[in-house]
Amino acid sequence: MAADYAESINSVEVRNLTVKFGEFTAVDDVSFSVRRGEIFGFLGANGAGKTTTIRVLCGLLIPDQGEVQVAGVDLKADAEAIKRKVGYMSQRFTLYDDLTVRENLAFAAALRKISPEQLRLRTEELFGFTGFDRSVNSLVRDLPGGIKQQVSLIAALLHQPEIVFLDEPTSGVTPAARLRFWELIRSLSKNGKTVFVTTHYMDEADQCDRIALMRAGRISALDTPEGLKQSSFPEPIYELELPEGDHQAQAAQVAMLQKVNGVGRLQPHGMRFHFTLTHSGLEEGVRDLLPETAVLRRIKPSLEDVFIRVVEAREGGGEA
Amino acid sequence: MTSPFRIRRVASIARKEVFHILRDPFTLAMALLLPAILVAIFGLAIEFNMRDVSVAVYDADRSPESRGLLRAFSSSGYFRLKGFAAASETLRELDGDRAKAALIIPPRFGHELGAGREGLTQVLVDGADNSTVGVILGYLRGVQAVAASELLGKPPQPAAIQFRTRFLFNPELNSRWFVVPGLIAVVVAILSILLTAMTVAREWETGSMELLLSTPVHPIEIILGKLAPYIVLDLAAVVFVYLIARAGFEIPFRGSHFVFLIGTLLFISTYLAQGLLISVVTRKQQLAMQFAIVSGLLPTLLLSGFIFPITSMPVFFQYFTSILPAKWFMMISRDVFLKGAGFSELAVPFLALIFLNLFLVSVATRRFKKDVEP
Repeated sequence: MAADYAESINSVEVRNLTVKFGEFTAVDDVSFSVRRGEIFGFLGANGAGKTTTIRVLCGLLIPDQGEVQVAGVDLKADAEAIKRKVGYMSQRFTLYDDLTVRENLAFAAALRKISPEQLRLRTEELFGFTGFDRSVNSLVRDLPGGIKQQVSLIAALLHQPEIVFLDEPTSGVTPAARLRFWELIRSLSKNGKTVFVTTHYMDEADQCDRIALMRAGRISALDTPEGLKQSSFPEPIYELELPEGDHQAQAAQVAMLQKVNGVGRLQPHGMRFHFTLTHSGLEEGVRDLLPETAVLRRIKPSLEDVFIRVVEAREGGGEA
Repeated sequence: MTSPFRIRRVASIARKEVFHILRDPFTLAMALLLPAILVAIFGLAIEFNMRDVSVAVYDADRSPESRGLLRAFSSSGYFRLKGFAAASETLRELDGDRAKAALIIPPRFGHELGAGREGLTQVLVDGADNSTVGVILGYLRGVQAVAASELLGKPPQPAAIQFRTRFLFNPELNSRWFVVPGLIAVVVAILSILLTAMTVAREWETGSMELLLSTPVHPIEIILGKLAPYIVLDLAAVVFVYLIARAGFEIPFRGSHFVFLIGTLLFISTYLAQGLLISVVTRKQQLAMQFAIVSGLLPTLLLSGFIFPITSMPVFFQYFTSILPAKWFMMISRDVFLKGAGFSELAVPFLALIFLNLFLVSVATRRFKKDVEP
């Protein structure tokens, strides 16, 4: 099996994974694979089954059904071996608040059989990698959220795992810290590590090599961000900005436009609306219907558009 | 295939736990101050012995005999007598809570005694505070016996049945001798059940248990590491109470230290298992604390015989208390301290404690393993 794995391009293989908690099916017959060195994203709302899937992949949960291989190891055969090969940063808990950075890292190292000497070298390297510049003797509770995430990542990387599972790593940190954290994720991937990350931020999902949209325990779509946009929106997508002012007039215009043949459903995006046209030839006709102050422009679909469309298609299909 | 048990991981978890304890004022106070506070409360402040019970006296006889009786009372050391001019005045003292008892000696008391008949006196005891009644009555009987032999010289004729009471093991009936050895059970209940339940529940509550389990660490390593500091705290607290008992209160230790140690270790591990079980079931600190107080601390204080004797409980409770490890340890501790009892005398408490220990340890570890295994 080890030889097979050396040649395999996938670091995670999941086939027909099902996890049930009593009557509730958290993960429902899911199959996917993650390639080595890629940033693989799980995008979905809370309760979609992202965390449950990650817990299975980290050897924390035995699935009811399905085949799971992580880093070439079969989960059923040896969950312990998987634990040695992966790093996990959980969503709820990251570090002990009442311990210092040094104590937290030393503790994580001791659980992983890392010698003090190795620990010193690894932390130096990882401090450089993450740009950690605080005192190692500061209590974790005194650190800002972004720095805590950095240290948690360091703790998850101490044992040089092949695959890192990050469960909503940036929840609750500032936008600037999120950006920095994603730089780290990208450089991890450049260094050959597989990064498996869950998020519900669309802009983060956009930075993944491939993303799986998860909903109600199933994967609704799986592709590169570009691929998803193209397959979900083969037709052109437009953004409409109506002149500010009278809400009733706005509502009337939206309703009028919605009735035009070839115009897709208008999705509100903040102060604007996104909608599709069956082909770009209709653009002129639509423009003529709008007041002159209205702004209509063709845009690239965002992942949010994709997400809404995929979810809608599912729900529409489910009800039909 | 699982990774081998590693003592270094246990040590790291224990070390981390020590940091938690040292940095949490609540735990630290519980661990260090509570034993001292309990010793102070139960050893010093609560006094079950009675001294200087105030007695209102109306002596209507005023004979040598009646004065002799009163002398016997006041020289006993238990009573402080105060004379009044009428029986009704002594009652007023009782009503006003200025006296715990009234003693009324009727006229012709001495005359009757001299004639070889019964010398009747009336004693009224304030029954409102029933914890003191028994003690006062006990003292009264003692005084009565003394007075009788004094007043009549030797008993006129040897009574057919005579009680000669001698209190064994605690001749002065000093309540501290009784209470302080029992305190060890209470201190262990707090440290083992309460603190342990809370610290393990905290790992569940914060989600750190999951992070621990995502490493190759063994569940048994987690438990041993988490519990080790509390075992040390427990032993330190036991030694502390022991030293206070011996040096501070001068309570004799008549038994074997080995028997005492075995009993203590059994008891500590039983309660640690109970604490662990609570934490696994509740998984929340707040809930774990409430469970620990209701199922651990209160029964240890109230139902173990620590203060309220089990023999005076309703029949149901006399049996019910048998499932409390504290009841059995209370017997072991007191009997080793005061009676010098060994394994053979304490066979029943030891067997009961071993049974409860095996039961709780196996239920707790099984439940814990089931919860952490994927």
